[in-house]
Amino acid sequence: MSDLRQQVQRLVVDTSACAGHGLCYSTSPQLLDCDDQGYPVVLQDLSSEHDVQAAEAAVIVCPERALTIEPR
Amino acid sequence: MTTTEKAVPEHLVVDFDIYDQSLAQPVDNVQQRVAELSAKGPIVYSTAHGGHWIVTRYKEIHEVLRDPDTFSSYPNNLVTGPAGMGKLLPIELDPPEHTGYRLAMQPLFSPSRMKALTEQIRDQVNELIDDFAGKGEAEFISEFAHELPARVFLALMDWPLEDAPLFTEATDIILMGKPGLNEEENQQARAAAGFEMFGYFHKMVQERRENPGDDVTSTLIHTEVELEDGKRLLTDEELYRMLFLLLIAGLHTVQGSLAWAIIHLVNNPEQRRALIEDESLIPTAVEEILRIEAAVVPGRRATRDVELGGVQIKEGDQLILTLCSANRDSDEFDDPTELQLDRHPNRHLSFGGGPHRCLGSHLARIELSLALEELHRRIPDYDLVESDPPILHASQVRGCMRLPIIFTPTA
Repeated sequence: MSDLRQQVQRLVVDTSACAGHGLCYSTSPQLLDCDDQGYPVVLQDLSSEHDVQAAEAAVIVCPERALTIEPR
Repeated sequence: MTTTEKAVPEHLVVDFDIYDQSLAQPVDNVQQRVAELSAKGPIVYSTAHGGHWIVTRYKEIHEVLRDPDTFSSYPNNLVTGPAGMGKLLPIELDPPEHTGYRLAMQPLFSPSRMKALTEQIRDQVNELIDDFAGKGEAEFISEFAHELPARVFLALMDWPLEDAPLFTEATDIILMGKPGLNEEENQQARAAAGFEMFGYFHKMVQERRENPGDDVTSTLIHTEVELEDGKRLLTDEELYRMLFLLLIAGLHTVQGSLAWAIIHLVNNPEQRRALIEDESLIPTAVEEILRIEAAVVPGRRATRDVELGGVQIKEGDQLILTLCSANRDSDEFDDPTELQLDRHPNRHLSFGGGPHRCLGSHLARIELSLALEELHRRIPDYDLVESDPPILHASQVRGCMRLPIIFTPTA
């Protein structure tokens, strides 16, 4: 159980770098929504391989390199 | 003291002038000419307009966009001010002064607000196509690419649709000058056009102040904004400068991008076929159209001496950022000169980056997506007219003025 918890990762947005391009939440809407200003909001942890792939897709589209995947 | 030609290594001195219309006419060579500059280095020095730097590559352009302390966004263009009317808000302010204005405008153009407009914009798109679908031919700019963003803008502002030609003329003069005039005469023409627009804004602001609605004009007038001097309503002068920016930024950029969509898809028939067959390609296709030709060439001014891309920039030096060459930088993109509608990732910089990143990007994406959907549904076999080729234009907002197309007439 503890091993599994260690594996859980999350998507982190560096808000000082984010400029609101909107590509991440368009690419991975299951993981990210946007607030009223147009900045991304992380919706959930990455609890499956499918989530991790979606997170990687979001990370790679960001022109500001503002997204990272980090351990929970 | 700013940099002079003598202080720059000889091989980096060029005479490239982004306002020189021979770059785009009779044939658009901007991309090719800018690629030649990029081959010389990430930053070169042009003797045009009293001397300025041209930043050509992705990494350095990104660096400049994200460092507003070192690279001020005022002035944002090489031709003096926006028609001598003072700073455009908020693009020509830098953080922290910039931040309050930006945050006040951002929700008006947020993804959710723009998404809510989808069906309204689709109706506009189809109304325009209705007018020419049966003819089998159209002048795509005046009948569609100019009209669409103009109508959407006027609807957002709640201004009369019949005023569109006024904006067309004024923004054309401000962005490109008038053909045949010298630089001084063009300054005067720009100032006169700007003055006329301010007069128009004055009228609209007074009108909405008395009869507010839920449009962008009314919201800007009646919302208190958190600024450096406290929370307050915007002044008339501030409102005019914001409206001016929205007008300049919203019309020509979408117009140009729509035209490039047509031109690149005509030149890439297999990809066009794929797009017609599979609508799910549209989101990445929009980003790819945006990447392959970036309309805007933003300007910056160095606030201190700084090294960039291996050269010394002096405080006060002007820079322009050729986003179109950043988007074709082979360090960032595979096969950068090729259109790939399914390109992923596509971290293009057509909307800029950093604190001034395009406020209207979400609206632009929706306009482009809906246009691509409906055009390919209704007139999928459009083609250029060989005897009457497209007329493109250079300047810091690149674009297209005339684009005749033919297609099989439909109902």
